Amino acid sequence: MEVEKIKGLKFAKKQDVAIVGAGMTTWKRRLNETGKELSYIAVKQALEEAGLTIDDIEMVVMGSAPDTFDGLHMKGEYLLDGSGGSDRPYMRVFVGGGTGVFAPIAGYWHVASGLADVCLVVCEEKMSSCHPHPQSGFKGIWDPILERPLTPNLIWIFALEMRRYMHVHNIKHEDIALVSVKNKRNALDHPCAQVAEKITVEDVLNSEPMALPVRRLDVSPPSDGAAALIMVAPHIARQLTDEPVWVDGVGWALDTTMWTNRDLYFPRYVAEAAKMAYKMAHITDPKKQIDVAEPYDPFDYKELHHMEGLGLARKGEAPILTKEGVTARDGDLPTCPSGGLLGVGNPIAATMGVKACELYWQLAYRAGKRQVAKEVTTGVCQAWGDLMQVGTVMVMSNKR
Amino acid sequence: MVFNEKIVNPTELRHWEGKIELYWVYTSGSAGDEFFKALKKGKFIAAKCKECGKVYFPPRIYCEYDFSETEYVNISGEGTVRAFTVARLDKDEKPLEKPEIYAIIDLDGTDGCIVHLLNAKPEDVYVGMRVKPVLKAKNKREGRITDILYYKPS
Amino acid sequence: MAVGKKDISCPPEAIGTPIKDEDLKKGKVTYYEDYPDLRYAWTAGQAISRFLNELKKGRLIATKCNECGRIMFPPRIFCELCFKPIDDWVYVKDTGVVQTFSISYIDPDARPLPEPIIVAVIAVDGASPKMGIMHVLGEVKPEDVYIGMKVKAVWKDEEEREGAITDIKYWKPVG
Repeated sequence: MEVEKIKGLKFAKKQDVAIVGAGMTTWKRRLNETGKELSYIAVKQALEEAGLTIDDIEMVVMGSAPDTFDGLHMKGEYLLDGSGGSDRPYMRVFVGGGTGVFAPIAGYWHVASGLADVCLVVCEEKMSSCHPHPQSGFKGIWDPILERPLTPNLIWIFALEMRRYMHVHNIKHEDIALVSVKNKRNALDHPCAQVAEKITVEDVLNSEPMALPVRRLDVSPPSDGAAALIMVAPHIARQLTDEPVWVDGVGWALDTTMWTNRDLYFPRYVAEAAKMAYKMAHITDPKKQIDVAEPYDPFDYKELHHMEGLGLARKGEAPILTKEGVTARDGDLPTCPSGGLLGVGNPIAATMGVKACELYWQLAYRAGKRQVAKEVTTGVCQAWGDLMQVGTVMVMSNKR
Repeated sequence: MVFNEKIVNPTELRHWEGKIELYWVYTSGSAGDEFFKALKKGKFIAAKCKECGKVYFPPRIYCEYDFSETEYVNISGEGTVRAFTVARLDKDEKPLEKPEIYAIIDLDGTDGCIVHLLNAKPEDVYVGMRVKPVLKAKNKREGRITDILYYKPS
Repeated sequence: MAVGKKDISCPPEAIGTPIKDEDLKKGKVTYYEDYPDLRYAWTAGQAISRFLNELKKGRLIATKCNECGRIMFPPRIFCELCFKPIDDWVYVKDTGVVQTFSISYIDPDARPLPEPIIVAVIAVDGASPKMGIMHVLGEVKPEDVYIGMKVKAVWKDEEEREGAITDIKYWKPVG
């Protein structure tokens, strides 16, 4: 039994946790399949990769963001049968956009605690159901008395945060646009990608204004899709594969919903979550020890913002690293080699497919054309969500 | 809290009224689309698991228990009442003009069931009653569950 | 238990059936539409009730925690950092400083607005640093707005006020 402490938190685990399989559906603006069917497709793929059947699954964690998008209350229960949850311990976790990494964190504690030896994690989102526009679904996120009467669009908070970030570090929009260019290009190698394309910085800067500084090509699209991941105990992992990928650390943190009372230039909640995950993973110098990163990139500046929160760049340094090519797939710190949300799509919780799943595939050397050039041992993935509040972080490694 | 400054007059305590103006468009999905297109033609289909033989109604593309694929099979759409309720209030708890009977109907040749309106007198309905579907006129069907007008005793 | 696959590229294939809006309109695929009619009444609670009542009088009010000394705006009945009840009500000014801003071309449903609007986080004078609220700016061109700009609330006429955040029409530059 390992026992460690971080700020009074005790880490005690019964057993290590390995990842042995992952899967995802294609991601598109609108898919004909229902959420249940999408979940089934993703799970089936993950089971096949791992060499398991549904009978081997002991417990299931479902991750799905607000019920508003699918338009189904108790969405976790609705998705149960397509997620392999029938007659099994099953739970849904939900921290908005942060769910894509929080669901595998919940899977981790199922296995690490010794409660399950084989845990299936499924994430699903079907945003196309929500009308008049998926963005309308975010109306309910605002304070009904203080903010909603001002008729806000969700993009406002991103625009306000992006402006603050640019102002504090004196960053130009063209430096941020490079992230969108990189990720959309990376996504050309992803079979499931929705908006993969070759674009230029000028294309981003000249795209339709939404809420300045945010323009159309600074944003990831709403998507339908699902993803799945299988987490197992060491003795199971050894039966299935010679090269499992291990979860070394997990962390999560939330800041207050009173977002207008915070300085938005730095994601403190991500930094706190990373501190927890790094402590657990014995990472003292993330810049040196992390080989590949999948930070959450629903907007181009968000990748930079989150790299800084994750300690992969100093405050204000992430745009410089991007410009120098450090974050390219053949760079020293490949970042969002999947193509991220900007290129592959943004089915909120199901973005697990380009965060936790992609990191697993990279560390398992199964990413095919997306495989990063350098040798990789340790990586970090992260998601973010709620009202600019939550940071969820997972560190993985292919060494034990 | 400064208790002497606490609002005690209820008329000074405020609330804010609002509505979330959203609507949803639900696609029927792979199996659902197959089912509703068949229904439009006046046919009923279910889905049989290729592994365990369980027959799902409404049809699905997968077996929920062994995660195998399924194949579509034709069924009659007729069935047996498993349970029923006599509704006297609508979804907003407003009285209905005439009581409505909603029943769970086990469909012949399947392990599944359908929940639908039963057109019969409340005093005549019993568990185990044989019923059959009544569909809308062919040109009025839209590929929705309401293409079945109701079930009636057979 | 079988052995997992080796030497593969993941995900191996992209499964799913993309459809377009036209496919729905033309009836190529079946679907169901639902327009629920749900209405809500959100209670404002002690702090925001007082805040709204003060807005009607043309004043902004905050609350103070004597332990950390913060003057919190918008007001709340507890200090979330010290986790204790607040100690006092404090009036703050209807002037402030723009912390960040955006020029929005879209409404809540992502439809284009006839005229773009300027939205900002404004830290209010008299409250602790960075205690801001979100509101809109007026009487200023988008290109003239900057972070650090001093602004003042422009109120609706007294008889038009209803005790709502929109009793402030917008904030305009001063000085």
